[in-house]
Amino acid sequence: MPELYLRLLDRILTPVLLILAVFLLLRGHNLPGGGFIAGLMAAAAFQLQILSRGRIYVRNRVGSYLHPAIGAGLLLAASAGMAGLLDLAVFKGVWFEVPLGPLGTLALGTPVIFDIGVFLVVISVATSYLLDLNRVAEGVDK
Amino acid sequence: MPVLPINLAILAGTGLILWVMRPHEKRFMGWLAALPPGLMTAWLFLQIPAIEQGATISTVLTWVPSLGIEFSFRLDGLALLFGLIITGIGAGVALYTHDYLERDPRQGYFYALLFIFMTSMLGLVWADNLLTLFIFWEGTSISSYLLIGFNDTEAQARTGARNALIITAGGGLAMLAGLVLLGQQAGTYSVSEIVATPGLTSLALYPAAVILVMAGAFTKSAQFPFQFWLPGAMAAPTPASAYLHSATMVKAGIYLLARFHPALHDSPIWFWGLLGFGGLTMLIGAVAAMGQWDIKGLLAYATVSELGVLTMLLAFDGQAAAVAVTVGILAHALYKGPLFLVAGIVDHATGTRDIRQLAALWRNLPWPSAAGILAGLSMAGLPPLLGFMAKETLLESLLHFAEHTDPTVGWLALGAALIAGALFVAYSFSLLWEVFLRREANAVEQAQVHHRPRFSFFIAPLALVLIGTAAPWSLSLLTSIASPTVASITGSQAEVHLAILEGLTPVFVMSMTAIVVGAGIFLARRSMRRLLSLYPASLGGANLFQQALDGLFQVAGWVEYVLQGRALATHAGFTVLAGLSALLFAITRLNPSDMIPALPAAVDPSGTFLSNVFPEMVLAFLAIIAALSVARAQTRLGAIISLGVVGIAVTLFYVLFSAPDLALTQLLIEVLTVVLLVLVFAKVPPDRLPPIGLRRQAFVLFVSLAAGLFGFGLVLFNVAPALHVADSISGFYLANSLSQAHGANVVNVILVDFRGFDTMGEITVLAIAALGGYALLRAPRFLSPDTVRPVKDRRGRPSKASSAGQPVAVGEAHLAPADTTVVAVDPETDE
Repeated sequence: MPELYLRLLDRILTPVLLILAVFLLLRGHNLPGGGFIAGLMAAAAFQLQILSRGRIYVRNRVGSYLHPAIGAGLLLAASAGMAGLLDLAVFKGVWFEVPLGPLGTLALGTPVIFDIGVFLVVISVATSYLLDLNRVAEGVDK
Repeated sequence: MPVLPINLAILAGTGLILWVMRPHEKRFMGWLAALPPGLMTAWLFLQIPAIEQGATISTVLTWVPSLGIEFSFRLDGLALLFGLIITGIGAGVALYTHDYLERDPRQGYFYALLFIFMTSMLGLVWADNLLTLFIFWEGTSISSYLLIGFNDTEAQARTGARNALIITAGGGLAMLAGLVLLGQQAGTYSVSEIVATPGLTSLALYPAAVILVMAGAFTKSAQFPFQFWLPGAMAAPTPASAYLHSATMVKAGIYLLARFHPALHDSPIWFWGLLGFGGLTMLIGAVAAMGQWDIKGLLAYATVSELGVLTMLLAFDGQAAAVAVTVGILAHALYKGPLFLVAGIVDHATGTRDIRQLAALWRNLPWPSAAGILAGLSMAGLPPLLGFMAKETLLESLLHFAEHTDPTVGWLALGAALIAGALFVAYSFSLLWEVFLRREANAVEQAQVHHRPRFSFFIAPLALVLIGTAAPWSLSLLTSIASPTVASITGSQAEVHLAILEGLTPVFVMSMTAIVVGAGIFLARRSMRRLLSLYPASLGGANLFQQALDGLFQVAGWVEYVLQGRALATHAGFTVLAGLSALLFAITRLNPSDMIPALPAAVDPSGTFLSNVFPEMVLAFLAIIAALSVARAQTRLGAIISLGVVGIAVTLFYVLFSAPDLALTQLLIEVLTVVLLVLVFAKVPPDRLPPIGLRRQAFVLFVSLAAGLFGFGLVLFNVAPALHVADSISGFYLANSLSQAHGANVVNVILVDFRGFDTMGEITVLAIAALGGYALLRAPRFLSPDTVRPVKDRRGRPSKASSAGQPVAVGEAHLAPADTTVVAVDPETDE
């Protein structure tokens, strides 16, 4: 069983890291961050959880989502790229504004959606590798 | 109205619709399949008068306008002749296929392939753009590959298909290179404009272009030394052999040469290349055909020989040769196609194509035999059939050349053609006599007819033969088809006079001599065949090609073993050395004074040495020390941690140069890498790393220095002003990121917007790498803790869990029934 301090760290840090990842993803277009970084950050959170709770714990919670998420991420990114066809150019950014009533307007663009696709691919690929490598590492352990 | 593309679309659609309709279940499907190509033949017939007047039908569809690439089609004389052959014989073959593949559930698939081929072939001969032509050309190669390999459970079919694909598609690529050279030099990719361009033969790159185009034509039309793929392609179902490998596809090479004849023919390369290879192929094919026992094999070599004749004829200039080519193409399609179809009927009815087992088929298969005999006599070139007319025109054009241009070459070519002509007669007579006419076979077991063909089965070959037989008697129609074709081949107006049986001309005498000599060879066929069987099979083209392929794989295996077959470090070392050699090559081509770097203008003059350079020097020093300690580490753990320090130092560099995104990415990667490496490697025994041998140390040191030099060189190239080739694009990104892409973080904007397409590629690679890693990490060697593995007893044999309640399953395993081998299964393997 992993040590107590690791489990404590997991309980505090994993949610923080995951929220930080989403934060980095969303602010990425204007400030340091973005899909790649956010994906890696989330993978780091999962690695912490693997260390503290064990591989099986993480696998049972997120394992079955990983491969579908890779496909979903690719699909999302590709469709965001195809949305540029509205302007008759593939992978051209299309921007539109969503009125939020009294809150003003929200500028949304296909690059942001594209970035979410990148995030999904990176987080799923990295976590899938982490789970498998940890399993191999356990095998060496025995 | 874009009538030509519509025709192509109809044909392509027909195949797919037929596939869906499950044609093997209904009787009328053959007639239905023959309808679209049949109607197209009729339409083409109606175009003959206009085309004869010199009109053309053309359609241009833009495709990639920025590169000037078009889907353009043009119907002129040559395209009309080929179009008639493709659709006309195509209709016959479509009807025939339904009976040949009687009740075969894969009939629909065959129809789909057949019509894809028909579309490609028609597009090929109608194309008026070099790249359109190339696309349809490769379309015929691929559909031919799939048709040859139709019986994919037979090794012979797979080998034949593979050889055909390698040869014809490889030749197609050579042709593409040649066509691009032509297009670039002529300044247009339009076929009709290139053909009309004078003076192409004097261009600097003409030899390269013409040799590449010839390579494409020779591979497709099975000219020596590529002739072996055609007999190998006989593993295809007979309708495909009849259609692709005698009537149409193999003539694509001839078509190509004929199409570019006006622009390219006026050079020694063209003349000697076509004359030499064509003549050689003609003789090889004719001789080899005598030694075949398989009807289709014999016909295949006969086809090779005829293709050699046509290639040879295209070497010559002038109208006589063009007439001979035209009549030859038409005659060959109208006798060889039916002969193949009859061979298929014989195969279908008796179950064999071996000539030794066949005899007296005229009694049991009267109509197919009649078609076969008429076609065979035309192949032999007996008057007054179309084959005779083809031979007459051939000899006439060679005689004309011998008398007016070059007697030596002309008489040599004429002699070779007469020898080939005699052999044509000999193998045609052998085929007809032994298969259809003689009373009994000399083999122990004579094949019996057990399956009489239906009317719809033999009507196609019969009709084609009758058209061929009637053709010499409707000379005006034949002239109407031939004269625009001849005009296309010669590139000038033509006045064609066709005639048959003109009395006792010298050519007629020669022709008769060839028939008499051929009849003599026919009588002595037994000794001829014995002589040919002495040729060792190991020297056959297909065999030599196989050996060449095996050799290629051996070399590839050896290269792979040397470069990548050992430890990962060696593999990486070679990669670094390859990079360095590119750099060294670049440096040797430079003036040493050019490599002096510019002094950093960005250095703040007001700052001190400490504030400018000191932090960087500290970091560099830290990275060097850490790198050294990786190399000197005694334990894996030490090496991994030191490696992490190197990474952190690099991260700090990014921080120093205000690149927070890069720093964040690098930091996260470092963290994950170090954690994983520690997890995986820290516990691998032995704890202390073994010493490295001296030679290995020397190699590693060398590679390390090379890597350092490589990096240094790259930096040098970047900062030396004399080597400045282009302005950095950074300024553009900085200026446009916010205004055009609505993002202040330039790095992110580059990733998701400016270079979004690259990122798409990168994440795709990432996803594929994830799949690869998933498979790799589940390889048996990594599956020790939760694999499916038999539980073994002490002697290492699989144990029977029979004895009293001993624990046999490990971990999370399920207990297996008592009488089977117990297997430990982790639930994870069920994922």
